[in-house]
Amino acid sequence: MTTVQPTYEPAITFDFRKALDQNRLKGLWKMMVDYRLPYIGATAALAVSALAKTFTYLLLRYFADDVLTQGRYIGNSLTQTFIWIGAGFVGLALVEGGFSFLSGRLAAYTAEGITRRLRDFLFDHIQRLSFSYHATTPTGDLIERVTSDVDALRRFFSEQGIGMGRIVLLFVINFIAILNLNVKLGLVSVVVIPFMLLVSLWFFKKVTKRYEEYQAQEAILSTTLQENLTGVRVVKAFARQEYEKDKFEKDNWGKFLKGKLLLFMHSMFWPLSDIVLGLQMLFGFVYAAFMAINGEITVGMYIAYVGLVVWLIWPIRNLGRIIVSASTGMVSYGRLMEVVKQAREPLFDGRHQPAGPVRGDIVFENVSFMYSDGKSNALKNISFHVKPGQAIALLGSTGSGKTSLVNLLPRFHEYTGGRILLDGVEIKEYSREYLRRQIGIVEQEPFLFSRSIRENITYGVGRSVSQEEVERAAKAAAVHDVILSFPDGYNTLVGEKGVTLSGGQKQRVTIARTLLKNPRILILDDSTSSVDTETEAAIREALDALMENRTTFIIAHRIQSVMNADLILVLDKGEVVQKGTHEELVPQKDGMYRRIYDIQTRIDEELEMEISRVN
Amino acid sequence: MSDELIELEEEEHTSQLTAPVFRRILTLLKPHWKWVLGFFITIALTSGLDAYFTYLNKQIVDTGITLGDKARVMHLATIYGVFQILQAGFVFTFIYLAGVLGERVQYDLRKMLFNHLQDLSLSYYAQNAVGRLIARVTSDTGRVADLLTWGVVDTTWAAMNIITSVTFMAIINWRLALIVFTIIPIMLYIAVQFRKKILVEYRVSRRTNSKITGAFNENFQGVRVVKALLREDENTREFQGLTTQMYKASYRAAWLSALFLPTVQIIAALALGVIVGYGGTQITLGLMTIGGIQAFVSYLTFMMWPIQDLARVYAEMQHSIASAERIFKLADTPPEVHDRDGAIPAQTLMGGIEFDHVDFYYEDRKPVLQDFTLKVKPGEMIALVGPTGGGKSTIVNLLCRFYEPRNGVIRINGRDYMDYTLASIHSRIGIVLQTPHLFSGSVRDNIRYGRLDAGDDEIIEAAKIAGAHDFIVTLEKGYDQNVGEGGNLLSVGQKQLISLARAVLARPELFIMDEATSSVDTLTEALIQRGMEALMQGRTSFVIAHRLSTIRRANRILVIEDGRIAEQGTHAELLKLRGHYYRLYTQQFRHELETQYGLAEAVGAELKEDAPEALAAD
Repeated sequence: MTTVQPTYEPAITFDFRKALDQNRLKGLWKMMVDYRLPYIGATAALAVSALAKTFTYLLLRYFADDVLTQGRYIGNSLTQTFIWIGAGFVGLALVEGGFSFLSGRLAAYTAEGITRRLRDFLFDHIQRLSFSYHATTPTGDLIERVTSDVDALRRFFSEQGIGMGRIVLLFVINFIAILNLNVKLGLVSVVVIPFMLLVSLWFFKKVTKRYEEYQAQEAILSTTLQENLTGVRVVKAFARQEYEKDKFEKDNWGKFLKGKLLLFMHSMFWPLSDIVLGLQMLFGFVYAAFMAINGEITVGMYIAYVGLVVWLIWPIRNLGRIIVSASTGMVSYGRLMEVVKQAREPLFDGRHQPAGPVRGDIVFENVSFMYSDGKSNALKNISFHVKPGQAIALLGSTGSGKTSLVNLLPRFHEYTGGRILLDGVEIKEYSREYLRRQIGIVEQEPFLFSRSIRENITYGVGRSVSQEEVERAAKAAAVHDVILSFPDGYNTLVGEKGVTLSGGQKQRVTIARTLLKNPRILILDDSTSSVDTETEAAIREALDALMENRTTFIIAHRIQSVMNADLILVLDKGEVVQKGTHEELVPQKDGMYRRIYDIQTRIDEELEMEISRVN
Repeated sequence: MSDELIELEEEEHTSQLTAPVFRRILTLLKPHWKWVLGFFITIALTSGLDAYFTYLNKQIVDTGITLGDKARVMHLATIYGVFQILQAGFVFTFIYLAGVLGERVQYDLRKMLFNHLQDLSLSYYAQNAVGRLIARVTSDTGRVADLLTWGVVDTTWAAMNIITSVTFMAIINWRLALIVFTIIPIMLYIAVQFRKKILVEYRVSRRTNSKITGAFNENFQGVRVVKALLREDENTREFQGLTTQMYKASYRAAWLSALFLPTVQIIAALALGVIVGYGGTQITLGLMTIGGIQAFVSYLTFMMWPIQDLARVYAEMQHSIASAERIFKLADTPPEVHDRDGAIPAQTLMGGIEFDHVDFYYEDRKPVLQDFTLKVKPGEMIALVGPTGGGKSTIVNLLCRFYEPRNGVIRINGRDYMDYTLASIHSRIGIVLQTPHLFSGSVRDNIRYGRLDAGDDEIIEAAKIAGAHDFIVTLEKGYDQNVGEGGNLLSVGQKQLISLARAVLARPELFIMDEATSSVDTLTEALIQRGMEALMQGRTSFVIAHRLSTIRRANRILVIEDGRIAEQGTHAELLKLRGHYYRLYTQQFRHELETQYGLAEAVGAELKEDAPEALAAD
């Protein structure tokens, strides 16, 4: 077997570590590589669209003033003039609509494109973070970041960025157009705008806070509901229906009141801002009408003004909303970058890359290990030697260091003292990728993925596997018959929407998986505690098949599984307290191993006694 | 996450509006008809005024500016201003009324559903996944409330707006109004088609999104396996399949949305072109004014908003109706177990319990319990053992009257227990479940659940009896410690101790316990055993037993297999039989002692020496 290099590099098209920046706006800009042009294009298209809208009103002005009032016709033909102007309106509408669509499409292209590669990157990145990062980071927190925060960024690009652009462009273009009609008129039309902007900013900040409270209350209500429904037997057994109704009523009413408050704020803001902006507009109308009557502007200019000013004034109050929600996008950027900046665990950093598989000769020389939090030593001065194909059993209570010890082999963690030699070479010289290819792990609590059983067995094999080969592995793992008993056989889905496998069945599926992988070194977290007695024998048989010709580390919980080991290490508080074979350790009368052994043999005696007692 | 999938799946359903459903939906508004009327009127007035403002603008041009009449302009402006303030009042009223009404309808529906769920029998819960029930109470009620309020608001506003706009246009020039009138259905049709397409894409993207979350979740939780098997590259590649799917659906939804308004606008512009061309001719003929043209431009430009609203409500309505139907269906489900007419309260449960030829089967009619007969004397302790699915839980559920026998009779104090009220039976039962269920809140609140009027000293007393006191006081906040959602901040053993204390406080006459199969640490295990013993003192008790010590303590052991009593008797009697019980027992014996004397204790703690003695003394 030669080392299998990955046949493809995952197509992570953008490395978001390049988008790290103290300044969040700069960071967002860096994120936009490859999409900057489309996004600028989206903004430009928006400008064209806004311009077309403005020109519609200017055309109206031309129509009213030149054609209707002054009777100047194109080519001196009434019909021709009307056709041209009608066509002009349609043409402008087409330009406005077309470019508005173009802008929307480009913005969506940008937002969805960035989101897609961000999701891809995060997925790929997070699974390559160190073991200790995963051990210390709650899954829920990571999920929150890769879902809600990613979505907040998506909205930043698709709605908020482009929304702000739209309002600002509408304002600028129409303001210039009105200034062009008449400067004085332009200036009196925007008196309340700065004020309105501030008020809307203030309002939406407030309302966002209230909305969060409202959502929190909804979450409380959901929890109450969920707990009640899952605990229905308790509720009924204590006849607490009325109490539960009262509790739900309290939360439900609380939510109603919070909703009412929120609605009151909204129903105050919108009409009040209606009045302010409406009066501003009316003031402009009257002012313009008087100018028109005084002959300072034409009727056509007045008509154009009335149309344009609408697009100047009304969007402003939405600007506050967009700015406030854009700020959540910024916060999300920060939260995502906290994950992005975590250092990855290099897979291919080893200098020693043998062409074939290892033999499996392992030497521990005074190995110590301390977790990065620098508290106590997890392992102290561990030394032993396992020859290829031998089995070594680790015994000890929870926290004695058994798991820490085996975690060093695939370099999930790096030891902090001494050295570990594999076939005479220190394992830090091998790449993690190479080591993990050589090592198979059967976990205490087997983890299956929600896909078919077949896919679970071939998971991580890294080559195409024939059905025959899968079945051979399943048979060796004593799980073939179980699988066939399911209606969909090997295509049975595991988990939520599929079949629930028992602990023992899961374990045998992982054994089959490991058999297919065919590693030289095996780590068995041997726990049959989650398994009912009937399947225990089947598992044991499967494990024996698996251990054949492999260097095996057994994390043992019972005496049976260590008796045949070539070497037994009894661990206590990170240290080896006894070392030897079963035959060597049993005679050591005050040793820990002997105590365990005594208890075990006593069980059988006790059972005999128990039964003879009743007879 | 499976809840999310259930929700998505249910959202797919649509229903057509039928008269009975429609009437029933409307009855939800009946108690609040004043509010409905209020927002109906104010929304109509608001939308009428919207159209009137455009008309006023036309008047300013035609009767003010063109004639050079400043007084007229001022007069019209005053009307304009007054109406504007008036309209703000209307807007305030309808937002507030409709919004609060929406909250209120949702509140009413949730209350109705929740209260009804409390009365439904356990059999209903067995047939309906909790996720579905939650979706019913949370999202379905929301969707119906939205339809009844904002749906009505949008429809009323849009319909009124279109009607008044067309009316004003007809007043200005009926010929041109006719042109506009004919394009409205076209615009509406196109808008609805768009909305439906967008909705489809939107749902695809939501479903994909939920799969993406699932993939993230699985990859984080299984990261150890992923790393050990070097699956990183392939996982990423697979994941990219999902994100590509997501990209396609959401990109399509986004650009369809972006195409939607311009399309409607362009149709309006075509009409506008015709109007300008045709209207221009009319002006020259004196049939149309400049202000009139301006008003038409305005009306047409803003016509797309009501059209958009109508299309949205229409496209989403079918889903809301499906929600309403699901809500009604739940509300119409009668509770299977309920008080019989003339039921009397049971005075005690301490008068002997009898199962008399009881049969039970679920909806599928596959027998679970057959011809089950059992007499239990007051104060007796019954241990139920046997394989999973044999019928042990069913016996307990029948005993608690969570279910009722299909055939045969269960007698308490010699009387059919269906003659008693449910509440009087339930209030005398104490139950501890296999997977103990706690509610969010403090330890104290959870114990008090057993008897709501218990004082703090009684709670502590109960905790002491149950053996929970010692660990509770070591908690940071003692009895005020928050146990987390479903008690998740505590260990299984601790949860069980608290649920024991809860049962102690209830002072039950009948005690039922389903022992946990999962192992808890030895100390907690011993505490639980002691607590159980205290609880069973002087009470009739049924225990679905897994632990040897429990089994041996029972007055009588029933081996339940395939819905029948396979063997019964005392521990010694059954062992002698060398039958089912013997096999179960020896298996469990080895298993338990291996765990009990397992390496953890032998290597770690002092218990290693005490353990054998404890057994010997037993």
